[in-house]
Amino acid sequence: MTFYESEIKRIRSTIYANQGQLNAVIGIRSYINHHYDRELSLDLLAHTGFISKYHLLRLFKKYYGQTPMQYLTDKRIERSKTFLKLGMTISETCFAIGFESPASFSTLFKSRTGKTPTAFQKEQFSQSQISTGSETLQHHI
Amino acid sequence: MKVKIISIPVRNQETALNFYTGKLGFVKKTDVPLGEDRWLTVVSKEEQDGPELLLEPAPNHFEPARVYQEALFNAGIPYTQFNVEDVQQEYERLLSLGVAFSIQPTEMGTVKIAIFDDTCGNHIQIVEMR
Repeated sequence: MTFYESEIKRIRSTIYANQGQLNAVIGIRSYINHHYDRELSLDLLAHTGFISKYHLLRLFKKYYGQTPMQYLTDKRIERSKTFLKLGMTISETCFAIGFESPASFSTLFKSRTGKTPTAFQKEQFSQSQISTGSETLQHHI
Repeated sequence: MKVKIISIPVRNQETALNFYTGKLGFVKKTDVPLGEDRWLTVVSKEEQDGPELLLEPAPNHFEPARVYQEALFNAGIPYTQFNVEDVQQEYERLLSLGVAFSIQPTEMGTVKIAIFDDTCGNHIQIVEMR
């Protein structure tokens, strides 16, 4: 057995020994992944996982290193990038990821990515034009 | 500061390019001749504007790099890891392409992992978040 294999075994038997806790946080993360477009609160997530919201906060942070709401925000920003790349408008993207205000979405998007959604979308569009152009050029060559 | 390039030490750049593009599915981004070697980078096909992997031949030119790479390899430690949607599916795809795994898909708490040999001196870990 290599050193790394023995470390995996050690960590599994110490850090990840509580399967009940793991099932709870994995289930809640999965719930967020499938319902990020809805209004999600800590109370609702805790109710879904049949645990108290304080316990949920502690467990989620323990296993994922961030709170459920921080994870939800990350998920929404990640999905919004995909929607913007697909050509959805800022408002459509905002509502598709569960935000109610395009202004607050734009502010959050800029704070996370360094660009406004409009700038991000323009950049993606120009990159895909360059890519398509170079493919066309290669095709002609 | 931004993360633009991550280096992976490789024994042979051409072998590495073939493995990382042909088997793993990365796309060549930059290939600049530098004497005997090349400034050679690849990117994820799904994220071509994302971080570049620099396939650098340090183990061939700098003895401590070779020793370090060999020690990590012998200990089974993956130098680098890549995220995938489904470890089991990727494991089966790579296995069918002849890639050798040192650790089969294994659940480890909130992640599932598997580790393969990149044929260039490294163990690479693939990870699925659960």
